[in-house]
Amino acid sequence: MPNEKITIEFNDRVVRQFLLATVIWAAVAMLVGVLIAAQLNFWRLNFDTSWLTWSRLRPLHTNAAIFAFVGNMMFAGIYYSTQRLVKARLASDFLSQFHFWGWQAIIVAAAVTLPIGLTRGKEYAELIWPINLMVVVVWVVFAVNFFWTLARRHEPSLYVAIWFYIATIVTVAMLYIVNHLSIPTSLTHSYPIFGGVQDALVQWWYGHNAVAFFLTTPILGIMYYFLPKAAERPIYSYRLSVVHFWSLVFVYIWAGPHHLLNTALPDWLQTLGMTFSLMLWAPSWGGMLNGLLTLRGAWDKVRTDPVLKFFAAGVTFYGMATFEGPLLAIRSVNALAHYTDWIIAHVHVGTLGWNGFMAAGMIYWLLPRLWSKPLHSTALANLHFWIGLVGILLYVSAMWTSGITQGLMLNATSENGTVLTYPNFLDTLPAIRPMMLMRVIGGGLYLTGWLLLAYNVLRTVRGARPVNGSVEVFAGAAEAGPSTLSVSGSFFNPPVVFSVVIFVFACAWMFGGDLVRIAGIAGAMFSVVLAYLHYESRGRRWADWYDRLLVTALPFTVLTLIAVIAGGLIQIIPTLVAQQSQNVEDRRQVPYTPLELAGRDLYVSDGCYLCHSQMIRTLVSDVLRYGDYSRLGESIYDHPFQWGSKRNGPDLARVGGKYSNLWHLRHLDDPRSTSAGSNMPRFHWLLTDPLNLDTLPRKIAVQRTLGVPYPPMTDAQVVAAAVAQAREVADNLRADGASVAPDREVVAMIAYLQKLGKYEAVAQRADGRTARLND
Amino acid sequence: MFQRLVLHDSAALYTIAAFSVAACIFVAFAWRAMRMRRAQIDRLGRLPFETATPASKNEPDPESSPD
Repeated sequence: MPNEKITIEFNDRVVRQFLLATVIWAAVAMLVGVLIAAQLNFWRLNFDTSWLTWSRLRPLHTNAAIFAFVGNMMFAGIYYSTQRLVKARLASDFLSQFHFWGWQAIIVAAAVTLPIGLTRGKEYAELIWPINLMVVVVWVVFAVNFFWTLARRHEPSLYVAIWFYIATIVTVAMLYIVNHLSIPTSLTHSYPIFGGVQDALVQWWYGHNAVAFFLTTPILGIMYYFLPKAAERPIYSYRLSVVHFWSLVFVYIWAGPHHLLNTALPDWLQTLGMTFSLMLWAPSWGGMLNGLLTLRGAWDKVRTDPVLKFFAAGVTFYGMATFEGPLLAIRSVNALAHYTDWIIAHVHVGTLGWNGFMAAGMIYWLLPRLWSKPLHSTALANLHFWIGLVGILLYVSAMWTSGITQGLMLNATSENGTVLTYPNFLDTLPAIRPMMLMRVIGGGLYLTGWLLLAYNVLRTVRGARPVNGSVEVFAGAAEAGPSTLSVSGSFFNPPVVFSVVIFVFACAWMFGGDLVRIAGIAGAMFSVVLAYLHYESRGRRWADWYDRLLVTALPFTVLTLIAVIAGGLIQIIPTLVAQQSQNVEDRRQVPYTPLELAGRDLYVSDGCYLCHSQMIRTLVSDVLRYGDYSRLGESIYDHPFQWGSKRNGPDLARVGGKYSNLWHLRHLDDPRSTSAGSNMPRFHWLLTDPLNLDTLPRKIAVQRTLGVPYPPMTDAQVVAAAVAQAREVADNLRADGASVAPDREVVAMIAYLQKLGKYEAVAQRADGRTARLND
Repeated sequence: MFQRLVLHDSAALYTIAAFSVAACIFVAFAWRAMRMRRAQIDRLGRLPFETATPASKNEPDPESSPD
């Protein structure tokens, strides 16, 4: 009976669960953040333990902030708003509970494995492969639950927030799977299938778009739902939200290479990344203005309502972060800012200001609605806002100052650019210590504000009665809406067909040889003219297709996925095909010996890459400080790549042979014994922990599968080679007066560090491939 | 065929290509958004308000609390 009225009770239980998890995990993420900020000031706060060491806790902080804090907040907001926007209860209570408990299990697994050094060594993708599989399963459950709910909806139209959620689900799935493709060597270890420049590009395609599609698009969807609700007026411009969505989805995915500017990444990719990043100014600010202008006529409420305060400030921080991001993507600005605290300021404007304040606003708005009880204290919520705001401003202004100071000092030269003004990396540390201390204070204030929220939540929820929302609908209401699209109608229609044809011709133009290139230009131009003529004569069909697409979830989802895939494919496929070891130019990395590989795994496990880059940029100051600039081929066998993203210490790309084995031993045992004033933690357990060679043969076998040219070796030969080299290192140390058994981890670590920067020269062959110069 | 990407200095070409792609997308969707009917826009914009939030009556009066 299509006209029969039915009442649908929403599943708000899972919303409450995710909301409470958000409060708890955010506090954990922030607490760890404050601790690691303090560790950079006071190295003794590493407590001389491996599992509380900065480089082990830093991935815990970032993963907790992204996946535990924002992840839980996102799921709460998506589940609450989607049910109401489509007028349907979540499709499956079981899947909802599976989603919630599965996600919490992943977080707990991450919290256990990261501090004990189990990591893949790629930023925000550190979790080991069994946890990766858990993430994929839970994400699929989330997607099924979400799309199943859309399929059962009683509202035919899809509000723009739902578009953002769809883009989030499909894009995160794609990014996560591609960047986590690995070959396991044991239950807790694997090597990514991409290496060197390929791994760098894929990693930052993922890393940048994790920010875009995990920390931004779902929160924009939440903004488009909760901000109008809180302000009690519709979004300022629905038209602008449409432009915001499509331009963001199309453009964002291309910007990843801006994380690799001035590096060995091919120039064309750097240029594409930089230019598309600048294009992001337009949609991002369109969205920000749309949010702020929604408050028109409601600004008087902002004075008293903490929810609107948080939303107004959160959207403003979104505008700040999305202005700063493209700015930092300009190559010359990036030369100053990259590897410094300026980047840390930038990401915290986004996470604390945009994500954190939107989360707080959403929580304060939801509490009275999910527990049918007034908020315990509005005054406390207002106090939270002001403490948090002061905390953010202290934090980011300190890091801006610190980053710019670092960049200026490290890049400063004299004698007409031939001599470094500050030749010792540690010269910068005393200059930025006050700012690093201010960061701890700012972060501490922000954490204090969040604890006030937690207290407010606790007092509100205690003794309150949970309530589920409901809505009355006509059965079969969705069918009464605009007609939807068939599968064939979704793809075989003028807009899609013309877009595909123009895209194919454009690729031929960009990538083809002489004749193909000419055909590409001609074909693209002809197709554009044809498309225009067709639109002029049959424009109604184009508009009709688009209107029907917006009420048909599946084709909309597939076309959104195609939109985000396009940018990734154009950047990644040429890199995978062209940037291989057999056709690198100039220099090629010498593969690690078994012992060096074991040392490298320890280097990754201890998170050394989080402070030390292995990429000497094409900048005068980098070359003067660290040696000849890094060539693309010099890390071609690195699975995972170790180019790094932040320098709390100097670059290590050419550290091999720079110091003696004894120097490295002393430095790892106590960095201050060789480098006065250093804030690096001690890694003294490397001197006592035994080196495990059991899995080394399997690791070599996997490396060989990945294309690293190891000669055929039996398991016994692999172990024997490692043992022999370990004896050499230990003998050398003994000769210098230090006594370390050859079967200790530090021996492998020293062997690895001494290998860094070793390469073989290669020459170009007539067939376009390369060969060793002595071939 | 990808060798050319590596060897040739095509910075200008890729900058222009990037701008062209982004500009086409902005223009196309702005045009499409501008052509949406007023009634359609109003209906879509009001979708968040079609489901009541009954518990909101439990919210405290913000005027009663200090800023």
